[in-house]
This record gives sequence, structure tokens and C-alpha cells, in this order.
Amino acid sequence: MPSKHIEPPGEEPCRRCKENTFIIVVRSEPLCRDCFIRYVHTKVIKRMESFRVRNADPNRQRKILLPVSFGVSSIPLLNIMDHHLKTQKSKTGRTGFALTILFVDTLGVEKSPANPNLLIQLEERFPDHHYAKVHLEDVFRTEMDDSLLELMPYAEVSKVLPLSEQLAVLINSLTSATARADVISMLKTRLIVQQAQFLGCEGILWGDSTTRLAEKSLTETAKGRGFSLPWQIADGESPYGITFNYPMKDVLKKELVSYVELVQPPLTSLVHREPTNTQISTGSKNTTIDDLMKHYFESVEANFPSIVSNVVRTIGKLEAPYSSSSDSHCKLCKMPVVGGQFGIHGWGGDQEDGLAAPVGNVGQGLCYGCSRSMPQVGR
Amino acid sequence: MPPSPCVLCKTNRAVILRPKDHSKLCKPCFLSVFETEIHHTITSNHLFQRGEKIAIGASGGKDSTVLASVLKTLNGRYDYGVELVLLSIDEGIKGYRDDSLETVKRNAKQYDMPLTILGYDELYGWTMDQVVEQVGKKGNCTYCGVFRRQALDRGAARLGVRHVVTGHNADDVAETVLMNLLRGDLPRLSRTTSIVTSTPSAISTDPNSHTNIKRSKPLKYAYEKEIVLYAHHKNLDYFSTECIYSPEAFRGSARALIKNLERVRPSAILDVVRSGEDMAKLVLSSDEGCEGACASTIPAAEEEVDGCGSVNGRSVGGEMASMEQRLAQNEVVAEQDLEVEMTINHGSGQRHDEHDSGTTLRKPGKKRGGKEKRGQAFLPKKTQKQVMGQCKKCGYLSSQEICKACVLLEGLNKSRPKNGIELGYEADTHRIANGVNDLQMQVD
Ligand SMILES: [Zn+2]
Ligand SMILES: [Zn+2]
Ligand SMILES: [Zn+2]
Ligand SMILES: [Zn+2]
Repeated sequence: MPSKHIEPPGEEPCRRCKENTFIIVVRSEPLCRDCFIRYVHTKVIKRMESFRVRNADPNRQRKILLPVSFGVSSIPLLNIMDHHLKTQKSKTGRTGFALTILFVDTLGVEKSPANPNLLIQLEERFPDHHYAKVHLEDVFRTEMDDSLLELMPYAEVSKVLPLSEQLAVLINSLTSATARADVISMLKTRLIVQQAQFLGCEGILWGDSTTRLAEKSLTETAKGRGFSLPWQIADGESPYGITFNYPMKDVLKKELVSYVELVQPPLTSLVHREPTNTQISTGSKNTTIDDLMKHYFESVEANFPSIVSNVVRTIGKLEAPYSSSSDSHCKLCKMPVVGGQFGIHGWGGDQEDGLAAPVGNVGQGLCYGCSRSMPQVGR
Repeated sequence: MPPSPCVLCKTNRAVILRPKDHSKLCKPCFLSVFETEIHHTITSNHLFQRGEKIAIGASGGKDSTVLASVLKTLNGRYDYGVELVLLSIDEGIKGYRDDSLETVKRNAKQYDMPLTILGYDELYGWTMDQVVEQVGKKGNCTYCGVFRRQALDRGAARLGVRHVVTGHNADDVAETVLMNLLRGDLPRLSRTTSIVTSTPSAISTDPNSHTNIKRSKPLKYAYEKEIVLYAHHKNLDYFSTECIYSPEAFRGSARALIKNLERVRPSAILDVVRSGEDMAKLVLSSDEGCEGACASTIPAAEEEVDGCGSVNGRSVGGEMASMEQRLAQNEVVAEQDLEVEMTINHGSGQRHDEHDSGTTLRKPGKKRGGKEKRGQAFLPKKTQKQVMGQCKKCGYLSSQEICKACVLLEGLNKSRPKNGIELGYEADTHRIANGVNDLQMQVD
């Protein structure tokens, strides 16, 4: 979408440098192009303190994984990191870390997957980094255990199928668009984590903007995964056993949309634009909770950007319960389920749904939210 | 489409698509499953005690009418051994409650339950019409909202009832969860998700008794749509009217979102409620001095739906806009402070942590306890550093020395021209002068 808040150059000078004419109003401050780009970079680099050169062992290069989706967040993140590493190099002769770029191809699985050819262009534009590409189906190849297979119908049969068919069997066993989107995004996260470990990376840099994190928080709330929120947007050790970092946490999505166009040279050609439907229909079978929240926060962000940031700050105040390593984790989303409250039954809102009560192994090791997406597993 | 059989009894023809999970049910199975789930809510949460007298907060609307009907049925069927009475509040707005109070009167006969209607005049010495006459149309929303929050508790205390049940349903709770996330109000999120709340109140014949009024919501897990269906299929007599006040902007926004979520995934309302309950356990060190989920000293009245019966409403969107403005200012301050801090750090290596605004700045890269605590979220005034105590005048749970209702009443009584009903309050002039202004800020 075109960013609405790029103004025609006015009379007023930039609030920061007081020299150039302003080109964009950012959080009610008129800024020129240079000051705006600096503003975005500062916000991101500020969150990268732990990766400074002085923290790096000169004999051992730190490696971090940066997954790209060719969205409006991950491409700017790569651009900023690339610039940051170049600055480190020119100032100190070395860098604080090295980047591995990973693209997960979802061709045949997602509605409008990014074109894998974009990866070639990306490598041409940012040649200093290591690049890797996997397909979502690889998640079955690289899983350490059979936890995914156990979630599939006819696990014994599915086991021997080709990977692509395993993925299809799993996705087709899901009965709603929301469930499919939910499971696909979790498979993606699992695959990215596996790849990070496989490629020897100590952590993952996620591109999520403020807006995306707020969206994610309410999406997970709506899916019944409120219990997992302390782990969903926090920097640091994740339940996946690897460090997560969210350097774009303080930048709004609309600011990134502008950044893509305003940075020199622009990143526009590298960003995959999903066909935007300005109106989403809640009556449609294809509409997901994720779509709904995305749409909702786009509209909140337009008029109330600080409310969006405040949602993220608020979620950040939730305290992760004390969980020992012996706590069981959900087989699908991998979040620690404190007290072993698996499945959708056994709480105050328990309902006598029209179907038979579950027998035996309740929820099959799926958390409440995952049980909603894979109800057939719980039965 | 061929008629499909009910999934529960497998005999009758299904005539109802159950809103909660889209299962196809016959009418008797729907009614029974609806009642059974509320029974489950009551028993698994140990809401009632044998011999207890319980007041149903009755407005004549669908929620409280269904609540009265179902409780009557369940009390008979499962022998809870509780005594049910109806309690209605009359704000004293000419014409506004007439129809709904007539409905409640009929309900009292239909369910054979004693009914008490208490007016604002009896509870506060002022009807809303008199308040409007006194303060004009502009500021009266403040009065109505504050008075309404306490009315049921005060009324129950008058009746010597220690437990009030209200008709809050799953949609209301889910809406409140999302609303409080949007407003950044975790303490309130954790309060409103609990099924039982209680409020000490001392409006009783014995001035020394601080009666503890328990509040609970047995319909907490019932969908609004199922409540309507139940009322319809049971031919219940309720007063159906569009709420004449527009909801506060955050609530309105959350409500629209909940309705859309329900359309996309019917279980979503229940799922949000579940998330809210789980999140309440993660809200630590709430200022009530209990671990978030603890419900014993929680001011129930604060969770009441905002708004009042007055037609001259609030500006739609105003609440969000003014919060946005406050937050944006905080951000500017935080940004400036951070710049200052960084400059200072370069000079002396000193850092300051706490700011006057109560905002804790993140020290870049620093982590505490493995989990980063950065800029403390902005809290609405009401819940900031809230220490719960009791109002010195009336004993109602209050974060201030004198509760809001008493502050407002003092102002009203002081300026009352004729010698009206006095509740025996002493004048406290300087407080009253600022009282109303403070309240506007707290309530907004
Ligand atoms: Zn400038
Ligand atoms: Zn899960
Ligand atoms: Zn039936
Ligand atoms: Zn008081």
C-alpha cells in the first residue's frame, strides 16, 4: 500500500536538522529523508547492544540467523543490519557478528508465497552474507523427534510418505483457514529454529515491527494462547532453546512501509507485495483470525500509533511463570504448558460440545490453542 | 438440505445451530446443554453455598432475565438450597426504567422471587433527574457512572444479602480482556477475568459492620447469542432495547473485534476468555496485594460496563484519542530522557533508573532475570499505584480516602438549595472544589 503520511515537501524545515525540508511526519515530528532514515536505524541498532564488536570474541565469529519473508519488515531489517555491519567494519576493522539469511519457501502451501527468485536479487544487493533456502516440507526431515508425525492422521502410514505429501496430509487434515494459517506459521517457526541450530547460529533476528507484535499478541489471545504471551515477543532465551531478538520492536509498520520507499537505493523491488484486500469479509471461509488482526491493527496504527506500542509494552509486562525444564511443552507450538493443562477440557469454560467426550490421553500433548487448531488430534 | 438429526440425542430433528461450536441440536438438547454448562460453572467454581441468600441484579434485559430463569431451574433441579431474590436499581430518570422495571416486576411473579427496587434517591439521596437539574446536562455522566458502580453493592447491603450475581456473559468478559489489552491495563484485566469478586461495603444498619458483598457471574462462559436463543426458546419475558448510550471507545472497538472473531471462529469468544484467565495468572504484584488471580479483595464494581443512561453521551473515540495523546507525550519525554541519559553516561558513567513519571527506562542491552523489563507500560490514572482501602465515609472499597460517590455526594449536598435528605456527611470544602474535576479525569 502507498504510505499515506509522506507529505509533499513543505515550507517547514525538518525538526531535527533544521536544514532540509521535511518529507514525512513521524510521530508528529516533521523529518527530512536523512533524518527519517537515521531515526529508523537508531531505533533498531539501539536494540542490538549485545551484538557490539566489543562483545565479540575475535577468534570466534558470532553467527545470527535472519529469516527473510520478503515482507515490509524483514527486508528493511536486512538493509539496516547490512549497513550496521559495514559501519562496524569501517570503524573497528571487524564486525560484531555475521549474518546468515534464510528463506522458507512456502510454494504450494501458502496463498501468495514470495517468489524464490527474489532471493537471487537479494544476494546480489547484499553479497556479504551467507544465504540459505529451505522448503516448508523440510520441517519433517529435520525434526529431531516424531512429535510432528504423531499429530498426523494415520501416523504410521504418513511416516513413509514423501516429505511434500506429509506436509499436504498434515495441512489437509485441518478444517479451517485459521487452523491452516496457524499451523503453517508454527511449522515455519520450527523450521527456522532447526535451521538456525543446524547452521550454527546462536540466535535469530526476527523482523517483527511494533505493529506486528501487537497484532501477534492479540492473535494469540484470540486463539487461546494467552498463556504463551510472555514468550511470544520477548528478547532473550526462547522456549525453542535458542535466543530470539526483535530489533524492529520499536518501529511501526507504517514507518517501515515509508522506509522501503525512502531509503537510498529503495528496497521496493525486493519486497513481496501480497495482494491487499482492503476489505476483509468475516463471512468468507478463507478469512483467518490472523487476517482480521492484521486489518484491525492497520487501522489502529493509522490514528493511534502510541496505543499500538503500548499494547506491546503491556504484553512485555506479563511475567513468565517459573517453569522448570521438566515442564511439558506443547507438541505443536512448543510453548511450556505450566501445570500440564493440555487440551480444551478441564477448566471453567469446559463445554459439553456436541461431540463425544475425549477419552484417554486428553489433548495428546497439545496446548489449549493448538487443540483448537487440531481438534481431531485430541479425540 | 436434508434434515439432520440432533448430534446429542440422535433422535430429534436438529433445529438449532449452536453458536458456540456450530453443532446441530434439537431444542430440548440445546436447552439442556445450556443449563448443564451453567450448572458446571456454578459447581466447578463453588459459587454457591447451601443456605445462602443471593440477589440477582435484575435489569429486565435478556442477560439478567435468563440468569434468573436458569438459576431458578437449577436451584430446583440440583437442590443448591439457595434463596434467590431480585434486586433492581432505579436511577430515577423519568421514563427510562419504566418498561424494564415493569418487566422485572412480571419476572418476580413468574419466578416467584421477592423483588426489591432501590432508587438512587434511597441509596444516595438524589435521583439522576435531580442531579441533572443541579449540575446541568454536561457533567452528569460522571455521576451516573460512579453511582451505578456502587448501587448493587449498596442495595445488597441494605437487604442484608451478601452475594450478588450479575448477568455478565462470555462476550462481555472477552470484550473486557481485549479492551484492557488495548488500554494497557493489566490489573483490571486480571480483576475482570475472575468469576468471583467481592467488595466490602458498610451501608448497613450497624455502622461498625463492614459487610463483605460477594459478586459472581454464573453466565461468564455463556455466549450472548445462546442467551438470546435460550430466552427465545423458553419464551422468556424480557425487555429488549438497544442500549441508549454509546460504549466508551476502547470498549466499542473491542466489541466490534470480538464480533468479527466470533464470525471467523465461533470458539474465539471462549478462547479469549481462556487467554484472559491464563494471563491474569501472569500479572504479578498487582496493587491489591494478591497474586493477580486472587479474587478475595477485588473491587467488583470497577468492572461495570462504563457509561450511563444519559442520552447526552460522550464523544465517540475521545477516550482513544486522549490516551493516544498522553502516550505520545510520554514517548517524547522518554526519548528525550534517553538522549540525556546517554549523554550523561558518556561523561560520568552514571545512570539513573527511575523517573518522576514512574517510567523505567530500559538500559540498552541490560536484562534482568533473563527477561527484559523495558519502559513500563502506561497505566490509566485509575489503576496507577492503587492502594485499596475503604472510604472513610461509607466504607466502600476505594483507592482514595473518600470514595468517588461520597466526593460527588458531598458536592451535591453542599450546593443543594433546599434541605434535602442528608446522609450525615460533614462538608469538606477543598476536596469538593476539586472533586468533580479529579473525577472527570479518573473516570474518562
Ligand atoms: Zn533533517
Ligand atoms: Zn501449542
Ligand atoms: Zn437432541
Ligand atoms: Zn464512600
